[in-house]
Amino acid sequence: MKFQLNILNNGGDCCGSDDSREKQCGNHTGCGGCSDAPDASSRRQFLNKASTVALGSFSLTLLPMSGDLLSDEPSPDDPDGAPADAGSRTADQSDEVVYGFLVDTERCVGTGKCLTACREENNVPEGYARTWVERFVHYKDGTVQVDLVPETGFAGSDVPPIAPGLVDRAYFVPKLCNQCEDAPCNQVCPVHAAFTSPEGVELVDPDRCIGCAYCVQACPYGVRFINPETGNADKCTWCYHRIKRNETPACVEACPVDARVFGRLDDPESELRKRLAAIPTSVLKEHLGTHPKLHYVAKSGEVI
Amino acid sequence: MNWKLIFSRNTRHLRILVLLVVAGGGGAFFVRSQMIPADYGQNGPYRHAALAKIEAQPSVLQSDTTCLKCHTNVEEERSESPHAAVRCLHCHGNGKQHIVDATKAGEFPEHSIPPAKKWDGKFRTHTDLFITHDRATCLSCHTRVVGMPDSFLSINVAAHLEEQGAEEINSKNVCFECHEGHSPGL
Repeated sequence: MKFQLNILNNGGDCCGSDDSREKQCGNHTGCGGCSDAPDASSRRQFLNKASTVALGSFSLTLLPMSGDLLSDEPSPDDPDGAPADAGSRTADQSDEVVYGFLVDTERCVGTGKCLTACREENNVPEGYARTWVERFVHYKDGTVQVDLVPETGFAGSDVPPIAPGLVDRAYFVPKLCNQCEDAPCNQVCPVHAAFTSPEGVELVDPDRCIGCAYCVQACPYGVRFINPETGNADKCTWCYHRIKRNETPACVEACPVDARVFGRLDDPESELRKRLAAIPTSVLKEHLGTHPKLHYVAKSGEVI
Repeated sequence: MNWKLIFSRNTRHLRILVLLVVAGGGGAFFVRSQMIPADYGQNGPYRHAALAKIEAQPSVLQSDTTCLKCHTNVEEERSESPHAAVRCLHCHGNGKQHIVDATKAGEFPEHSIPPAKKWDGKFRTHTDLFITHDRATCLSCHTRVVGMPDSFLSINVAAHLEEQGAEEINSKNVCFECHEGHSPGL
């Protein structure tokens, strides 16, 4: 405001502050007698700056309020803000629950019982899947074949038979949501429908999602899809409704060989933490920096 | 400084500009307040009510603790056997209606638990309870397939039956001539 008044004052000095002088001029642009050029340029400057301020203040109103960002949850949009108060945040969250998942490719036998369990539990429509199992077959001639395990519940059904003599090694790899700490799907959602629960589980707000499928493209692991029945983005939630009732996720419940282990990462006494400490594990696409909470035992380099 | 200037004819455009900024800014704030849900941002950058809605989804799959409340002998049989990790629902189905009936029978003694249905041979449809004396349930896991870990006990059915000298090769419950489901001695 001060700036504006100063400019007005300058204009007054230039053209004279009395009305009679102005009437003589007729209109303002043809103020021949007084020094016209500085007046016009300062007005142009003023209008430039005023419109900048106007546009700036207008765009500020579209930004989220600072209150939105003052949350306990680390904002996925703002990874740079983390180091400043990282210490206090971990101290605050020491009693909070963080879930983790371990998949043992050395134990999976590929019967696909987890697939049926997930579909029944979460009412996933046919043709889409929240979790799936791949079979990697390394042939003796160096080629690698990847099959998809069918959902019949019977081992070996609907997959092409392979003569064991041709194969160097073969194994099954169950895939599901990695529940990344820095989830790309979460960051791209334009309506904040993709969010992280306090336990670190990536969820979709069913009432908020507009089905734009941006998150489907953003996920590097391909675990998201648009549910044709609801029109929303759908994904593996590690059965959030079950784990909140101290039950295990449906696929873990349905695994007959304990190839899927679910547990708390924050509890040093949990089976998950003990197994993670005892055996070398790795995550998928570590170079992307998404920090998945889904770990794999004995993952080959071919598995991505 | 002359305050009159602010209201003079010269500044008409400026006054319009200021008015537009104030009205536009206020309008934007109003629209924004209408579009953001009330419970947004309580725990983080999301709608807080969504958590409760997702949590409210009912659990479909039963866990073994429900079954073992009544079928106490199974836990003992199974705990020392190779089938310790196998859950009830793998062979017997989810049995949701069975649990409803059993709970009702516990409260009202006159209510009888209906017998288990016959299995149609598909896992995709077996949401209810069935008694398994069918080799298909055994072989759904124990058929040898390329990709299974070597430590897992899996068989080629024809070779195994011939090796063991089974008599009724085509019988559905041929496995149970030698093995007991809950604790399959090997």
